Amino acid sequence: MSSEEVKRERFERLVLPHMDSAFGLAVWLLRSESEAEEAVQEAYLRAFRSFHGFRGEHARPWLLGIVRNTCYTLLAQDRRVGPAEEFNEESHGEEAVAAGAVLSFPSNPEAALIQDADRELVRACLRALPAEFREALVLREIHECSYREIASIVEVPIGTVMSRIARGRRRLESELASRMTQKKSTGT
Amino acid sequence: MNCSETYRLLNGYVDGELELGGSLAVEEHLAGCPRCRAREANLRSLGSLMRGHVELDAAPERLRARLRERYGARSSTWQRWRPWHIAFAATSLAALTLAAWIGIVEIVGQRAPLSKSAGKVVYHITNSSTASAALRTLRNHLEASPDVTVVVVAHNEGIDFLLRGARDSSGQLYEGTVRGFKERGVDFRVCNNTLVRRKIDSRDIVPEATLVPSGIAEISRLQGQEGYTYMRL
Repeated sequence: MSSEEVKRERFERLVLPHMDSAFGLAVWLLRSESEAEEAVQEAYLRAFRSFHGFRGEHARPWLLGIVRNTCYTLLAQDRRVGPAEEFNEESHGEEAVAAGAVLSFPSNPEAALIQDADRELVRACLRALPAEFREALVLREIHECSYREIASIVEVPIGTVMSRIARGRRRLESELASRMTQKKSTGT
Repeated sequence: MNCSETYRLLNGYVDGELELGGSLAVEEHLAGCPRCRAREANLRSLGSLMRGHVELDAAPERLRARLRERYGARSSTWQRWRPWHIAFAATSLAALTLAAWIGIVEIVGQRAPLSKSAGKVVYHITNSSTASAALRTLRNHLEASPDVTVVVVAHNEGIDFLLRGARDSSGQLYEGTVRGFKERGVDFRVCNNTLVRRKIDSRDIVPEATLVPSGIAEISRLQGQEGYTYMRL
C-alpha cells in the first residue's frame, strides 16, 4: 500500500466514525445546524491535513479539539462573541466557586421544580449558557468525555474543567428554575 | 472536610473523577450532612435530566456522504487518480479494444468489487414515518445479498415501530415483520436515552429488540470498531 493509502485507511477507521460527535459539538457551539455543517467540513479538512502528526488509536478528543477551534475561528470571523471575550478566568477562578458556594445552594423546592422541565426548556437553557460552560457541559454529559479529555480538547488544566462544570451546572439550574417559575406563574 | 470543601469536590465526585482519597473524604462528609446529600441528589438528577433531553445531533446524510467521498479509503475521487488504477484502466481499454477488434465484447463492471466490510451494515432509523420504507429496503437488501450482517439501531421517533402493538399505515402489526427479520439474523437495537427522554417503559419494547445505552454511541462503535457501513433511513 502507498503511504497515501495507509493514511486514508487509518483516517477512515479512526476519524470518519466520529462525524456525529463532531457535528453534535459544532451544533452546540455555533447554535446553528448549517454553520455546524460548514465547521465540520472545515475541521475534517484540517484534521486530514495534520493527520500525519496524530499518534495513537483514540482520535475523538483530537478531532473534537480541531472542531472546537474551527468553530471559534468561524465565530470570530462573524464577529460573534467567542469564549475569550465572554470569560475572564482570573476573576472567575475556582476560589470564587468555593467562596460563594454554600450561600448559593439551591433550595429543594427549586430542585423539584426543575424535574418537570421539558426537552425544549432544557435545550433552551443550555443554549443560553456562556460558551465555556456550555462546551464543558456538552462534552461531559452528551459526549461523555472524561475531565482529562475535556482538558485536552479545551486546552485548559483539569482543575479549570472541574470548576467550569460545577459553575455551568449551577447556572443551568438557576436558569431552569427561573424559567419554570415564570412558566408556572403565567400558567403556560 | 467541611461543606464548602465538599461542595468544591462534589461535581468531580458525582462524575467519578476524584482520586480514591478525595472520594472517601466526600463520602464521609456526606454521611453526616443532609444538606450536602441533598445537593448531591440534585446534581445527579440534573445530570439525568440533561442526558434525557439533550442527545447528540446526528450529522446530516449529505455531510456524511461528502466527508466519506473526500477522505474515505474507498473515495472514488481519489481512486480515480491512483497510479495503479490508471494503469489498470489503460490495460482494460487495450483489452476492450482488442476484444472489440476480434468481435467479442464483454460488459465489465464499472466499479471495483466492494470490500468485505460492505458485508456488515448498520441501519439507522430515526423517524417513525420512514420505518416501513426502511424495512422494505432491508428486505430487498437481504434478498440481494443474503449473507449480509445487519444491525438496525432505532433512535428518537425511529423506535416507534419496535413498540408492542405498533402498526404500519395499513394497520398491519410490525411485530410479525420484526420477528421474521430477527429469525433471518437481523439484530434490532433500541436507544435507551430515547426511552428515558420520551418516558417510555423498556417493557413496551418488543422482545426481539435489545436495549443499548446510546444509539449514537452504538453506531459509532459499530462503524469505528467493527467495520460496519452506515445507512441512514
